[in-house]
Amino acid sequence: MQGTKVVRPFPFFRAGARASQPQLSKPILVLEDVYKFFRPDQPTLRGVNLLVDRGEFVFITGPSGAGKSTLLKLVYRELTVDEGRVLFCGRDIGRLTDGSVPFLRRNLGIVFQDFRIIDHWTVFENVAVALEILSIPQRLIRSRVAEALERVGLAGRGPEQTSNLSGGEKQRVAIARAIVPEPALILADEPTGNLDPHLAIDILTLFEEINATGTTVLFATHDHSLISKRDHRLVAIDEGRVVEAQKGLKHWPGSGIHTLVG
Amino acid sequence: MDVKSAMTRARRGLREERRLYVVAVTSLAVAFLCLGATLLGVTNLDAAATRWGHSGRITLFLKDDADPQDIAQLRVVLEGLGDVSEVTHVTPEQARASFLEEADVGADLGSLPSEVFPASLEVTLVNGVTRERSESIASRLGQFRAVSDVESYRGWFEKLDHLLWGARMLAAGLALLVVFCVVAVIGNTIRLAVARRRQEIEVMKLCGATNGFVRGPFVLEGMFQGFASALLAVLALLAGYLALHEPVDSTLAALTGSRIVFLSAWTMLALLLGGALIGAIGSALSVRRYLSV
Ligand SMILES: Nc1ncnc2c1ncn2[C@@H]1O[C@H](COP(=O)(O)OP(=O)(O)O)[C@@H](O)[C@H]1O
Ligand SMILES: [Mg+2]
Repeated sequence: MQGTKVVRPFPFFRAGARASQPQLSKPILVLEDVYKFFRPDQPTLRGVNLLVDRGEFVFITGPSGAGKSTLLKLVYRELTVDEGRVLFCGRDIGRLTDGSVPFLRRNLGIVFQDFRIIDHWTVFENVAVALEILSIPQRLIRSRVAEALERVGLAGRGPEQTSNLSGGEKQRVAIARAIVPEPALILADEPTGNLDPHLAIDILTLFEEINATGTTVLFATHDHSLISKRDHRLVAIDEGRVVEAQKGLKHWPGSGIHTLVG
Repeated sequence: MDVKSAMTRARRGLREERRLYVVAVTSLAVAFLCLGATLLGVTNLDAAATRWGHSGRITLFLKDDADPQDIAQLRVVLEGLGDVSEVTHVTPEQARASFLEEADVGADLGSLPSEVFPASLEVTLVNGVTRERSESIASRLGQFRAVSDVESYRGWFEKLDHLLWGARMLAAGLALLVVFCVVAVIGNTIRLAVARRRQEIEVMKLCGATNGFVRGPFVLEGMFQGFASALLAVLALLAGYLALHEPVDSTLAALTGSRIVFLSAWTMLALLLGGALIGAIGSALSVRRYLSV
């Protein structure tokens, strides 16, 4: 909207800026009493409260249509809250101007179920796009893309055409694109939804490796088998509210999420 | 906005949408060609008007029974005028001969009586005499006793002026039409290109691209199309000119003593830059409308 005149709301949102010490001790993401209505009578999210600390790995679960994607969209400002606040690094996302949204997103890495890879671009081009928007010099882009591809297990495959890749490989390319700008927070919306179970575990492991380097990960999935294999913090969305599940719950009883509470 | 990155992406866009863009550029080149041809007409009419306007001339038709002494006196007066560069006496026989030679019609005309071709004095004025001045000279000369009639070609000049005015209006109207065409065609082409690149645009927006970053290449692509159309039209016009100007010149030179000229460098520059500018405006408008995020 503003064209060349860019609005940079907070220094932290600027590309390449690093959080100062006091910010590091604060939670990276806070949802305060968040409501989202698609129909006036029935809110999809009703009074959601959530606090995510820096460096956490959080599963967000709930049946299809529970509002997992909606919650993530509120964080990357695809949607805005109707009531309540979403704070990223202490800043109210809902109050950002449209011109500032790109600068919020530069601090986020987003991965989807459908990969969102450009088929007629090479692997390199698909990953490099996340750095090109930051006007980083080409030489630096090349080395950082190579590094990111190595981290996702696609070392040296930059020149390949993306259309020839398998589903699992495409998702790895998407993950490389998400991590290459070194975002503070990764939002993964059912990233394993289109993959075979063994590939799903591989991708989950990849996210865990990324998390181990200090990046916070929100991993939305309704795949119980995946959740049950791991020990991460589990947040379930149930009838528009979030319910914290206990840590260490490895066995998923029955079909309903409700049975979790207790 | 990073211009270099926008250019790289615009080049990729031009390569990927080449078929779409070739169609747009070709049809716009035709529009530019019409405008260019009209401008060429205006340029030549203008050149002719300037040339004839500068080399003003007056014809004094002499009475059949004019006294040779009066005619000689008239010549002396004329040659004394500062505005006159040359005076030629044309006898009826010469007038008849040159008419038959130029007219190149049937033999019947050869039997025309000599009264049809009166004797005359052809007065050539020096360069730079205004039309008003030549009018006043003509009216004063008409009062001489030996003169039956004066022709200052005023009506002819007025006709030329009208023609020139009409051609200029036509060019202005066509220019307006071309602007409209370019904006509409490029706007539509860019709209299609935006639709076809929807996925890439979405990815870029999710990675944190600003609107300017996303829109930049489209504006450059529109600019290039406008420029390419104008260039194509100018080149086609130049080719036509080079192929035709010799035969046309030889005919024209025999009739009017003038040669045809091509568009001035400024006109060509204006066409090319105008094409680029309108192309950029057309795509910017389209992109603003169809790429609001
Ligand atoms: N843009 C939208 N317009 C209307 N309803 C929507 C929209 N997005 C989501 N919803 C509704 O909100 C609910 C939650 O959707 P979603 O967040 O996609 O669920 P999940 O990702 O958990 O499967 C669903 O009932 C869905 O129909
Ligand atoms: Mg979903």
